[in-house]
Amino acid sequence: MAIAKKTGSAGKRVHVISREKGWAVKSEGTARAYRIYSRKDAAVKGARKLSKARDVVVHRRDGSIQKWEKSGRKK
Amino acid sequence: MGEEWKEEMSVREGSFSKNVFINCPFDSRYIPLLRPLLFTVLSLEYNPRIASESFDSGEARLSRICQLIRESKFSIHDISRIKASSAGELYRLNMPFELGVDLGCRLFSGGEGREKRCLILEKERFRYQRALSDMSNSDIKSHGDDPERLVREVRNWFVEIDNKKASSPTRIWENFHEFVADFYERREEEGFAGRDLEMMPVSEYISFIKEWLAGRLG
Repeated sequence: MAIAKKTGSAGKRVHVISREKGWAVKSEGTARAYRIYSRKDAAVKGARKLSKARDVVVHRRDGSIQKWEKSGRKK
Repeated sequence: MGEEWKEEMSVREGSFSKNVFINCPFDSRYIPLLRPLLFTVLSLEYNPRIASESFDSGEARLSRICQLIRESKFSIHDISRIKASSAGELYRLNMPFELGVDLGCRLFSGGEGREKRCLILEKERFRYQRALSDMSNSDIKSHGDDPERLVREVRNWFVEIDNKKASSPTRIWENFHEFVADFYERREEEGFAGRDLEMMPVSEYISFIKEWLAGRLG
């Protein structure tokens, strides 16, 4: 069963991900992170700018979900 | 024991070389490390084996563990909980104990048992030497309780030990986040609430990862 395909998730979200030297903003379906920020709040702002009509998923350091912003409205 | 081992393993040839015995705490405090660990092992196309899979209350836990160890070429032992986190709390002995069983299995078995390989993880690089001096000078990797570092150590170890071609640690770490988002979205649609997702049985979580990876690759 293909969850990713079933939900059609490819490219539909922008993630804020903890990285060794900061916080990465990465769109699904892209090979590399858009940008690495030293501060998480700056990364979240960057993700919102990049997201356009896509969801922004902000993760904690362990990968779990801290906040899920659905196309401008908070989940 | 050598011939017996060889016979048993030839039957399980396909799975022995892919099985990874996971020896770590399965409590809520370890979940932030356990989930990326399982995702990494599965992303590298290995098969994690845990003591709680197909758990049968009538079966002695130790015999189950010994069986898993015999069936697994690889093992990952996280002994980072050898130190109690607060006064009065007992430190955990299961992990060092099972590490000892695994090393004994490798040392005293013939045949493929000698091919067994293990990765020992600790929080700090040299702390274990004070608690487990018999293992001094062993090549133990530290993760500092950092999930990203753990992903890197596990992935790099498989590449070194099994000549594995693999995605970069960063790619695996980023994929884990996409999986987490899909996992939460999909399972919430199916009626799983927050606590259901946080405290999900490990074997069920593994099956979700497998399903997701199959969807990515398929």
